[in-house]
Amino acid sequence: MTSTFTTPPPPQGRAAEPPAVVATEVSKVYGSGDAAVHALRGVSVGFARGAFTAIMGPSGSGKSTLMHCLAGLDTVSGGRVMLGDAELTGMNDKQLTLLRRDRIGFVFQAFNLLPTLTAEQNILLPLELAGRKLHRQWFDQVIDVVGLRDRLGHRPSELSGGQQQRVACARALVAQPEVIFADEPTGNLDSRSGAEVLGFLRASVREMGQTIVMVTHDPVAASYADRVVFLRDGQIVTELYQPTPDTVLDRLKALGA
Amino acid sequence: MLKTTLAGLAAHKLRLLLTALAITLGVGFISGTFVLTDSMKTGVDKTFAKSASKVDVAVLPKKGSGGDLPSSLLARVRSAPGVIEAEGTVKGDAALVGRDGKAVGDEPTVGASVPSGRLLRYDVDGGRTPKGPSEAVLDTHLAKRENFKVGDVVSVLDHKGRPHRFAVVGLVDMGIDSDVGYRGAVGFDAATAVQMTGVKTYTEIDVRGGAKGAIASAAGPQYDTLSGPQLAQRLAKANGADTKVIQAGLLLFGFVAMLVSALVIYNTFAILIAQRMREMALLRCVGATRRQIFGGVLTEAFAVGLVGSLLGLGAGLGLGAGALAVIGTFDTGMALAAPELTVRTIVVAVLVGVIVTVLSALLPARAATRVAPVAALRSDLEPGSGRFRLGWFRTAVAALFGLAGLGLGGVGALGMQKGEVAMYLVAFAGGLFFLGVIAGMPALVRPLGRLVGAVPGRLGGVPARLAVSNAQRAPRRTATTTIALTIGIGLMSLFAVVASSGTATANAQLDKHFPVDFQVESQFGGGKDAADRAVPHDLVAKLRALPQLGEVTDAREAGRPKGGARDMTVTTVTESSFGSMLKLDAESGSVSAPKPGTVIVEKDTARTHGYRVGQTVQVDGDRGSLPLRVAGVFSGDTPVRGVVLAASDFDRISAVRDSATVWAKAKPGVPVDDARAAVEAATHGYPTIKVGSMAELRDQFTKAVNTLLLIFGGLLGLAIVIALFGIANTLSLSVVERTRESALLRALGLTRRQLRRMLSVEALVMAVIGALTGVVLGIGFGWAVTNAMAKSAVFAVPYAQIIGFVALAGVAGVLAAVLPARRAAKASVVESLASG
Repeated sequence: MTSTFTTPPPPQGRAAEPPAVVATEVSKVYGSGDAAVHALRGVSVGFARGAFTAIMGPSGSGKSTLMHCLAGLDTVSGGRVMLGDAELTGMNDKQLTLLRRDRIGFVFQAFNLLPTLTAEQNILLPLELAGRKLHRQWFDQVIDVVGLRDRLGHRPSELSGGQQQRVACARALVAQPEVIFADEPTGNLDSRSGAEVLGFLRASVREMGQTIVMVTHDPVAASYADRVVFLRDGQIVTELYQPTPDTVLDRLKALGA
Repeated sequence: MLKTTLAGLAAHKLRLLLTALAITLGVGFISGTFVLTDSMKTGVDKTFAKSASKVDVAVLPKKGSGGDLPSSLLARVRSAPGVIEAEGTVKGDAALVGRDGKAVGDEPTVGASVPSGRLLRYDVDGGRTPKGPSEAVLDTHLAKRENFKVGDVVSVLDHKGRPHRFAVVGLVDMGIDSDVGYRGAVGFDAATAVQMTGVKTYTEIDVRGGAKGAIASAAGPQYDTLSGPQLAQRLAKANGADTKVIQAGLLLFGFVAMLVSALVIYNTFAILIAQRMREMALLRCVGATRRQIFGGVLTEAFAVGLVGSLLGLGAGLGLGAGALAVIGTFDTGMALAAPELTVRTIVVAVLVGVIVTVLSALLPARAATRVAPVAALRSDLEPGSGRFRLGWFRTAVAALFGLAGLGLGGVGALGMQKGEVAMYLVAFAGGLFFLGVIAGMPALVRPLGRLVGAVPGRLGGVPARLAVSNAQRAPRRTATTTIALTIGIGLMSLFAVVASSGTATANAQLDKHFPVDFQVESQFGGGKDAADRAVPHDLVAKLRALPQLGEVTDAREAGRPKGGARDMTVTTVTESSFGSMLKLDAESGSVSAPKPGTVIVEKDTARTHGYRVGQTVQVDGDRGSLPLRVAGVFSGDTPVRGVVLAASDFDRISAVRDSATVWAKAKPGVPVDDARAAVEAATHGYPTIKVGSMAELRDQFTKAVNTLLLIFGGLLGLAIVIALFGIANTLSLSVVERTRESALLRALGLTRRQLRRMLSVEALVMAVIGALTGVVLGIGFGWAVTNAMAKSAVFAVPYAQIIGFVALAGVAGVLAAVLPARRAAKASVVESLASG
């Protein structure tokens, strides 16, 4: 249907830059024959650099699958995914792993942290896996922004859910990836902790120029983004710029979700 | 509930199989032992039955009397009514001279009468039975070993050591005699056998025809008269005792294997229960009682045990058959039957397997009953993790057993009279201490993990560091997993240390007390009378005259007193050797060369006979008896034993002039090889004389010890393999538990190879923790045992072997991780993220 392949209005005047992530006619089929499930049916979409984009849609719309394909966690059945100048489709497992390690950050809904590591060790894990040097100043800045200074030595089991998600955000930010994918990052949090985490993600886009793609089904969470992309039955059906909870909700209602 | 359990088992076939494998190996070993020993026994029994079936009646010395049958008895038996034929069996020594001109073996071959005709109880493998003074037959296996065949002419020494030449007319399987298997045998007709062996009595009289009663009355009540089947039974019984010893020895290792299996089973069930908290809670939610949960877990254990045991039984049958086949390839002359699976074997195997499994699952089953129904609704905590504290019970047990073990071990090693009692005490202390270690191990896992993980953590990068912390995250689990390995490695290190200390001690003793280069000795006699087999005095004189030799010492031993039994060695040693070649430690009194009228006595002999310094004792020889005063009691690891007399006193009570043993040193400046060649040349023409160098003796001793160690190692290897299954099991269960964690790591950029490496390092760390603990225990208690053994014992650690054990354990641990690691690496990141 409407395959939107547009660049969003520049939030910080970067219209000239190409999108950070581009999906072209991406399809994903699970199983085969009669049992085949078409999770994605030819999705084409671009995600602007330095922007905060939300992917919304009802359950089973394919939003998580899309994110997995964009992030190199899953392979596509057809189409192309580009991260900057790198084409993800066609990469083998090792190349994908290294790409994720070096260029992508993740925040998941739950079980974001390794239980055996302290908060600080968890935050530094991607850098250590990549064998990259830590910019101490940057680290300090991130830690102060997420407000974890006094929690660095704690293990995940000693942190609240909100604190755990903030550690996960810090981990994603410290590595300064080209794009951060967040999968329902506030799904397990109460509204106050959720607001903290979302505000913090938005701030990282505004103040640090980070690119974030977030999957959510919560209109309030989506309203923190610059742009919302709506998915239904594996296709992008519409999008919304500068969303508010109400406009998102209206759009969802219009989709019949 | 039963249905639920069975459905659960069916759903997890692989898990069931992996758990059952630990039991399979242990049960396989035990049933294999039974299969092997049963088959060995049946084979031998059959041979005996066949052999005895040729005899109608047999007359034997009274059981346990050790006596002989006089030749007059044969005449009496022959004259009994109905007797068609009767033959006496003559058995003694008749040393076969090998192709190298030296008597065969360390002991002379058996010389026996081989009857012709119906009473021949041996199988003739080729040729015919011997007749007349110039014909002989050889035991088939001996002939094969020494490369003789029918038609050859062989030289055999008679009881005076004179060579006689015989034509080999046949090969006969005389292996039903236990002696023959080891020594080999030469067969003659009855008259020649008497001439060659000098034995005029019979070990057995075989009769054809005649009634048992009539023969019994003719023989008299002081002898046993048996029918053919009774004879077979008696022979089989004597042999059964041998297989019983083998069986008991093997079963001991089977016991160790089962102990390790029990630990593995316990751990597997404990982990499974912890992982299935929700399942248990759900069952409780829908109305299962605690009792039903308990029963469910035990039913599962029962099923696992049964499957494992049945598989083990199959494995055991294969193992037994394999062992039989291997034994069959050696030329032992042992009669072997087809592998035999008795009802007893099946019952024991299944019972042991099931009982061990169910018992091991008891504690986990109890833990399962403690799951509260609401746990089904709570989000799950990772099982076994979190801050670890050793419970008061475990702390108390660990402290109590640890201290008791250390204390008793210390007393046994340092405070007690050296000897067997002290060694048993140390062994007991070792057992106690090990129980303490089992109890306290969870508390040791983290410090040991840090120690062991230090190197891989530093070298292996992030995956290795994660692995090291993973190995420490569930201390109880890691403790049980590693302890299973500790048992096998600990026992192996203990044996290695004791063996190496034993060798070192023997060498040190020889160096200190008995610095000689050569030992010249006759082939060991049949043990009846050492004086029969000696180094002729003219040869001793010849050796003394050799320019290549320095000091030469000889020892003469008196024969047994007329009409009496010899209950101690009565000996005299070249006087000049005291203090130079022969360095004795004084236990009491003076132990320099005994002066006429006095004796010095070896410690053990003194103790047995209650001799004390200053006491006058009656010393008996083959010719006379003398009252002599005990001047001293000596100890020390020298070959000099018993009561040592001055030469002049010895000559008054003994007619023996030949030496039992001659020891010699190369003259300073003469190469040992040259001296050896001279000694060899001098002994040429004395077929029974054997020259040994001390270096060879040491080599032989070391080799024997190493062979023993290798056998132990092989048998303990099973316990180690089972422990490795435990590691693989724990690891694959942990992998399941950490599915999402692995997925997260993969998402963050851990490659498959790094994930695999992570699990390998975790297994490595666990294996090395277990091995290290075992090695420390083994060395510690090896030291204690060595100290308890004897005052002069030298403690030696075979470093290379010990390091080898640890390295081997590490490598094996990494191998154990291969399958779980592959499974973890294969998992799809997206699916794993969604799971749970």
